[in-house]
Amino acid sequence: MRINQPLVLGIHFATLFATLFVTIFAAEPLQADNQAPSQADAIKIIDEMEAIYRGDSSRADITMIVQTPQYQREMKMTSSVIGEEQSFIRILSPKKDRGIATLKLDAEMWNYFPKINKVIKVPPSMMMGSWMGSDFTNDDLVKQTTLTEEYDLSLAETATQYTITLIPKAQTVTVWGKVEYVVDRAEMVPVAQNFYDDRGELIRTLAFSDLKQFGDARVPSRLEMIPLNKKGHKTVIIYDDLVFNPTDVDPSVFTLRNLKSRF
Amino acid sequence: MLLKLAFRNIFRQRRRSALTALSIGGGYILCALSFSLIEGSYNNLIELFTLTKTGHVQIHKDNYLDRPKLHKAIDHYETVGHQLQEFEQVKSYSFRIFAPALAYSEEGNHPAQLIGIDLDRERATTLIKDKVTSGNYISEFPDEDGYFQAMIGVSIAESLKIGLGDDLILISEGADGSVANDIFKVGAILGNRGGVEKSNVYLPLNAAQTFLALEGRVHEIVLILDNYQDAEPFAQRLRPAIPDLTISTWQQVEADFYKTMQSDKQGNHVTLGIILFIVFIGVLNTVLMSVLERTKEFGVLKAIGSRPSIIMSLVTLETTLLATISVLVALLIALPVMYWMTYVGFALPEPIDMGGIAISAIRGEMSVFVFVIPFLLLISFALLISIPPGIRAAKISPTQAMRSH
Repeated sequence: MRINQPLVLGIHFATLFATLFVTIFAAEPLQADNQAPSQADAIKIIDEMEAIYRGDSSRADITMIVQTPQYQREMKMTSSVIGEEQSFIRILSPKKDRGIATLKLDAEMWNYFPKINKVIKVPPSMMMGSWMGSDFTNDDLVKQTTLTEEYDLSLAETATQYTITLIPKAQTVTVWGKVEYVVDRAEMVPVAQNFYDDRGELIRTLAFSDLKQFGDARVPSRLEMIPLNKKGHKTVIIYDDLVFNPTDVDPSVFTLRNLKSRF
Repeated sequence: MLLKLAFRNIFRQRRRSALTALSIGGGYILCALSFSLIEGSYNNLIELFTLTKTGHVQIHKDNYLDRPKLHKAIDHYETVGHQLQEFEQVKSYSFRIFAPALAYSEEGNHPAQLIGIDLDRERATTLIKDKVTSGNYISEFPDEDGYFQAMIGVSIAESLKIGLGDDLILISEGADGSVANDIFKVGAILGNRGGVEKSNVYLPLNAAQTFLALEGRVHEIVLILDNYQDAEPFAQRLRPAIPDLTISTWQQVEADFYKTMQSDKQGNHVTLGIILFIVFIGVLNTVLMSVLERTKEFGVLKAIGSRPSIIMSLVTLETTLLATISVLVALLIALPVMYWMTYVGFALPEPIDMGGIAISAIRGEMSVFVFVIPFLLLISFALLISIPPGIRAAKISPTQAMRSH
């Protein structure tokens, strides 16, 4: 599955390098001039953070560990992404769940269950429901990319961190009253996301840690989602591998046909 | 002497005595038959209800009954089963697993209550086998292609447009948080549209355990005793034996049903009380009349030296005697009627649906309770009612009495 061809890799490194260069260049004036940070800067940072695992396209091998007071479950999966709109996840283990897949195209989402050979569209009412029994919601997988469009952003900075506060716009349909996005200034990687309800109470936190080098990028390889209203629950995502711009990730991956394909 | 007098007095005014006897006897028959019907129909209902749905006693983990959660499961259920066998009253028991599920077919989907049952035990414990309207009671083994069979309620079969042998897709949440999904074959269709099981899907216990990732665990142990009335005392005895689990009687499991039934019963008792009251007003009237009519007589009795207590005893004795005789005769009449009601009963033209259980006939009950309670009620009321006229008779002054006519 992974790309071993140096040539291809080289080309993609080049693209990636260009992307990174642009990113760093773009981020430069932000740190240089000492003016009050603007909403535009905040948008830029969020966009950058949201793209960190994604690149133009990427493939990741992920381990997800779901912990509850009753059980602990570990799943291995691969995930393919192109841009913001297309993503595809397939569960590899445990054996019982092998082959279960999720396809996200724009704002729509489907799950496929090989045992019953059935594709089930996730209805809007289920968007806040749990994804495969984890503490991530379906909405986390689908909507997070549009943070900058549906929220009003404000930026605060300390010596080491940016804290971007996202308040939903009046017309935005969301369960969150406020989202805090904390970013490490030196590494330009996300540190934490804190989700508040409309009464201002902290409902869940997503923490990023364990910086790891994947190709040219250094990204946090460990994500911990802790819902504070569910005692003893936690979901950990570990990036075992992350490849940017792999050759086999093309639009044909993100189709209902591929979702149903045996593998 | 007093007894003889009382007897003679009763038979002296035959017509009046006969009318009084008729009203007391009629009251008894009415009362006993109503009692029989109330008790009988409720007993039948409870029998049917417990055998269809709840069993007599249920065992759960923690507060599963109030707040069912997939993971609140009993893991040593086989051991508990062996413990239950040591109690003589336990006729049978069965293990169950519950989960909400979504049933799919090519035609659509339908919400379903998934119930995993120990097939052999469940058949011996409840009436589930009698509910099979088409197909056969399923087996616990998968077919040659590896598919387990399922029994489905009528509503599911109809809305999914599936019949015997067709695929039934079930999706639910596993106890490990995974998405439980699998295909089953329809092996039987259960019940009717009004039945409690119309939206149920029954799976073999082992298949349900695997499906829901609940291997080696069940949610409920349901047991049937020799008599449903033993549920509470039995639960009391069982609690110390299995202290780590929650034991509930059918009255607790179906508290709403039980409360409705109790209040309904009380309503019936009030109606009966009113009937009895009317009967006794009539009796009071006759006794009072007979005392007033015999004022002169009592005057003479007093004049020749009878103590007031003797006169009062005479009046009460007369009434009680009359009541006893009439009740005994009424009992003889009531017996065959009650026998017929108990063993034949009134067939209802349309079965009544009560809590999802179809009642097709109203039957009475024959028990000591049904005979004795109205008996005691009537005799003691007769006694009570004869006291005021008795006092009146005892207080009569001889001179005034002999002057009256």
